[in-house]
Amino acid sequence: MSDTHGHNGHEPSPLVPPGATDRAVSADVLGRVLHPAGRRFRGWALLLTALLAIGVVGFLLRLQGGVQDRTQWGYTAALFAILLSTFQAAPLVSITQRFLRSQWRRPLGRATELLAVVGLLNFLIMLPVVAALPPLAGRPSLWNWWPGAPHLWDTLGVAILVVNGLAVLYLAALPDLAALAVVGQGWRAGLWRRLAGFWVGTPRQWDIQRMALGTLGMFYFLMLVFSHSMVAMDFSMGLVPGWKSAIFPATHALSALQGGLATTIVMLFILRTVGGWQDYLHVDQFWALAKLLLSFSLLWFYFFYSEFIILWYGRQPQEEATIGLLMFGPYLVPFVGAFLCSFVLPLALLIWNPIRRSIRGPVVVACIILVGQLFDRVRLYVSAYSIEQVGGHVLEHVPAFHPPDLVDVMILVGGAAGAVLLVLLASRLVPVFSLWELKEGMMLRKVVPLVRLRLAALAKPR
Amino acid sequence: MQERYLLTNRQINDDLTRPVLTTPFWFWVAAALLGGGLSLGLLVVAVFVIFGLGVTGLNRPVFWGVMITNFVFWVGISHAGVMISSILRLSQAEWRRPVTRAAEVLTIFALGTAMTFPLIHTGRPWRTLYWVFPYDFFRAIWPNVRSPLVWDPSAIFTYLTSASLFVYVALLPDLAVLRERTTGLPHLFYSIASLGWRGTPRQWYLQALAGILLSALILPVFVSVHSIVSWDFAVSLVPNWHATIFAPYFVIGAVWSGVSAVATLMVIMRSVFKWQKYITPDHFDAIGRLLLVVGVGWFYFFVLEYLFGFYGAEPAEIAVREFQLFSWPWNLLFAIFMLAAFLIPVPMLCFRGIRRSIKWMLITSLLVNVGMWLERYIIIVPGLAYKQVLTFSYGEYTPSIFEFTLIFASFCMVGLGILVFSKVFPLMPIGEAKEGQIFRASVKVGKVEVPAVIRE
Amino acid sequence: MALKRRWGMVVDLDRCTGCQACVVACGAENNIPLNEEKIVNERRAISWIRIERYWVGTEEAEQTGDYSQVKARFLPVMCQQCGNAPCEPVCPVYATHRTEDGLNAQIYNRCIGTRYCANNDPYNVRFFNFWEPDWPETLRNQLNPDVTVRSKGLIEKCTFCVQRIRRAERGAKREGRVVRDGEIQPACVQACPADVLLFGDLEDAQSKVAQKAKDRRHYRLLEAVGTDPGVYYLKKVDPSATPREGTGH
Repeated sequence: MSDTHGHNGHEPSPLVPPGATDRAVSADVLGRVLHPAGRRFRGWALLLTALLAIGVVGFLLRLQGGVQDRTQWGYTAALFAILLSTFQAAPLVSITQRFLRSQWRRPLGRATELLAVVGLLNFLIMLPVVAALPPLAGRPSLWNWWPGAPHLWDTLGVAILVVNGLAVLYLAALPDLAALAVVGQGWRAGLWRRLAGFWVGTPRQWDIQRMALGTLGMFYFLMLVFSHSMVAMDFSMGLVPGWKSAIFPATHALSALQGGLATTIVMLFILRTVGGWQDYLHVDQFWALAKLLLSFSLLWFYFFYSEFIILWYGRQPQEEATIGLLMFGPYLVPFVGAFLCSFVLPLALLIWNPIRRSIRGPVVVACIILVGQLFDRVRLYVSAYSIEQVGGHVLEHVPAFHPPDLVDVMILVGGAAGAVLLVLLASRLVPVFSLWELKEGMMLRKVVPLVRLRLAALAKPR
Repeated sequence: MQERYLLTNRQINDDLTRPVLTTPFWFWVAAALLGGGLSLGLLVVAVFVIFGLGVTGLNRPVFWGVMITNFVFWVGISHAGVMISSILRLSQAEWRRPVTRAAEVLTIFALGTAMTFPLIHTGRPWRTLYWVFPYDFFRAIWPNVRSPLVWDPSAIFTYLTSASLFVYVALLPDLAVLRERTTGLPHLFYSIASLGWRGTPRQWYLQALAGILLSALILPVFVSVHSIVSWDFAVSLVPNWHATIFAPYFVIGAVWSGVSAVATLMVIMRSVFKWQKYITPDHFDAIGRLLLVVGVGWFYFFVLEYLFGFYGAEPAEIAVREFQLFSWPWNLLFAIFMLAAFLIPVPMLCFRGIRRSIKWMLITSLLVNVGMWLERYIIIVPGLAYKQVLTFSYGEYTPSIFEFTLIFASFCMVGLGILVFSKVFPLMPIGEAKEGQIFRASVKVGKVEVPAVIRE
Repeated sequence: MALKRRWGMVVDLDRCTGCQACVVACGAENNIPLNEEKIVNERRAISWIRIERYWVGTEEAEQTGDYSQVKARFLPVMCQQCGNAPCEPVCPVYATHRTEDGLNAQIYNRCIGTRYCANNDPYNVRFFNFWEPDWPETLRNQLNPDVTVRSKGLIEKCTFCVQRIRRAERGAKREGRVVRDGEIQPACVQACPADVLLFGDLEDAQSKVAQKAKDRRHYRLLEAVGTDPGVYYLKKVDPSATPREGTGH
């Protein structure tokens, strides 16, 4: 009758280093932010800045060509979608688990929320991509007749998402920033004081923070799903004549959730190995994320198949053309790559308990999934952006595969590097662990004996 | 878990086996009424066979109506079982304990009821049975596996088999309890059924393992069943049926209506069997929160369906959508559907007071199912009535008294099934209740003792 | 799929007067149950070929009150014998399939009456027997012995009078020759007084129907759906019509 989810008699993984006091944990977490950045940190920051510079150069070169020729912006659109589907989707891991009150998410909450800062970079990348979209006349759109559509509303939607993400980060980090303001020095202390100086930690403040975090977290979830639906419709489906698929916005949002999970796993691995946080991040976190990753990989296939079976079954001309463009025609290689990396390989690997219940296993699968995201977004956005004639009811002429040129590669590399750099720099301002949630977890958890085992009892105050 | 009752094993055994071992008067009344309703349904089927489907309201072009709506509705309700017992078991939610078996039993009888509808709905049901038993292998004409109507029975039977296995595996310890408390013929029955359960550690371990494996394996089946039923509609060319969103839309709609049905069942069980100590407002609060999330998720898919109805600007589909939304009686039905399935229950479920109130949970859960029945009806019929731009063939549909009787009879069939089940087997899992007692703990936080749960 | 022979029709809408002789002839030839008023009101009337009537100019007439310019347009619709028939993949028992000569066959004794084919048919040319067909004693002698009488609970539709096609083919084989163009006439084609309907082998480039199908007025119903119908329609010539932006796809 009992679930064998447990550790087969071992003590549950500790939240913090064994025997650590509150003060020791605070010193660990805050100390990393307060101390000056080490050599390795500076080295990585320099390398990433160099790569980002390459990307900026490429971006400017592309801008020189103007936004009239949409085909040139295909890979940039794909980059925008990739960052939206990985870094910007990661905070949802923390938000949903906080809603579900699960305990294993405590160590990874802040790390995922921190990834929302990439939204700032992504917004800039989006601007020419959205400007390259053709006007609405003669083709279907989410926005119908609204003036300024789609450019204005799409920009606004993503802007709101970015601001929302930063707000969630701010609210979640507030108590920790206040702690930093007290013990910090230099220009950063001034910033922390301005941001969190009012925070004292009264019950009323905690209540308000909890409610606001819950509400804004929920909004972030809704905005992310909405943004993905919007991007999927306007930047991809709306450009392909005859492609009308009600599930595609949901598919896009779902694959973003999968990407967010994968990004989280990779980030945690980097924190553990390069950052040296082995005492805080254990196999529990990776195991739970791996189980979620398996579910989302299965769901990826489910959503893909739901679309495919309807498009394929009726043998209607516009649907056969859509399948030809997105799957079996010039974009066959990205499609197969996406299918393998987003579904087949994750399923084949994560179905094994030893792989799920390890640290390396989920990380390898997460990297495979991120590669799959790249293939998938290239397939969707480069193909859509290469279509000349966007009006009409059938895709008459399937465009040939548009390979990336040097500038595209520069932009892709620079974009990825810039995202990682932003997170790295943000970790100098905001601690990568949520100190107050770790302490809360320590408070609510007690190891109790049960028959011959020692298990964790988790208090449920509400 | 704020209110928890401390119960001894003996108390639990007594309370939960009482409905099996004693038969109060109301049981016979209920059985008679439900049996009567079911008999009316059988009568209607006889009328169909003798006189033909002309006695229904079906016509050309609306060839599918209330009966197929019932089919989809009951398949939807059947998704409750897996959601509650499988997903909540895998996520270790404590509040599932009282309702897992009731939900699984609801699944089994809902599926059985659902399966009767495509059968009685065919023009020649005797030929349908004869087509299957015995199958004519000699002419080498196989069932058309390209037809969704062949996918349907495959999925539904797989689900039925796995759900039945699931119930049986979980039942074994409870059957042993009943074996110890009965004599004579019942004792013989329970002895055989409990397969020699002794409660040794190894047996518990195997049973737990089987439960976990079945939970995990039944999940893909659960998703596939209603997806396949939805593809009956989605792969066709009927304008508002032909949408890629149908599979997840129907699945999440099934969870929405199924879990609401479980909430209704919880209210009924609590009052009829006097299980107030086992099904507490905490449980309703928890199921209410689950319902809230599912309801909002359902709404997203609903919005996508309607949005894309208008998105392609195809005249055939626009005509259907306008018919669905603006013309009589569909505008009224649509308004009732929206109010009952979303606009009333979801805001209500946001409030803790409502979630903890038995009366209001009963009302919201019933409302949701009224709305969801209408949802299927609104999807199925208008699309057939206004199928293509050749407007000369536009039609309409009014259900007959026979079809309404069948709706009533289907509820009687499910109710009778659960009632009879509760007489033979305990409707609440005894083992789970006892396990919940073992996992109680409390943690001292500051000066307060906070109730806690032991996690493995 | 390239067929050696594909039976098809051409319907010249410029000639159709909507007299419904084709409907009556079809009913007589194919043992179609009587469409009494009660059955028509129930919307269960069976007519394998029907004349759809559309009114043109009603919007203007409603505004001006002058109905003298409203015109009727007649569209004879029968089973289009689609090359890419949506009714075929959905039948669970293979009661409907494509024959080698381009017909969409309906096998009555396999049909269990799920009516999925009728739902998936965009032309609404499939009919279900809701009641057991019954003819008065006096009319039973006029039933065609070459055509099955269907019972309640199954689907039927236009077959291009396949009994006539097979009879002609058998006769031609007996005589050691191929079927000549124009030798086979389904009942509707035979009965039409205005030569609206033309039947023949679309794959035979010499046949009248293949040549007429290439007429510049030709179109097919619901072409965008991709069903590849075997029936070609020739647009009505309307000298008073003004060019209009097409709203269809």
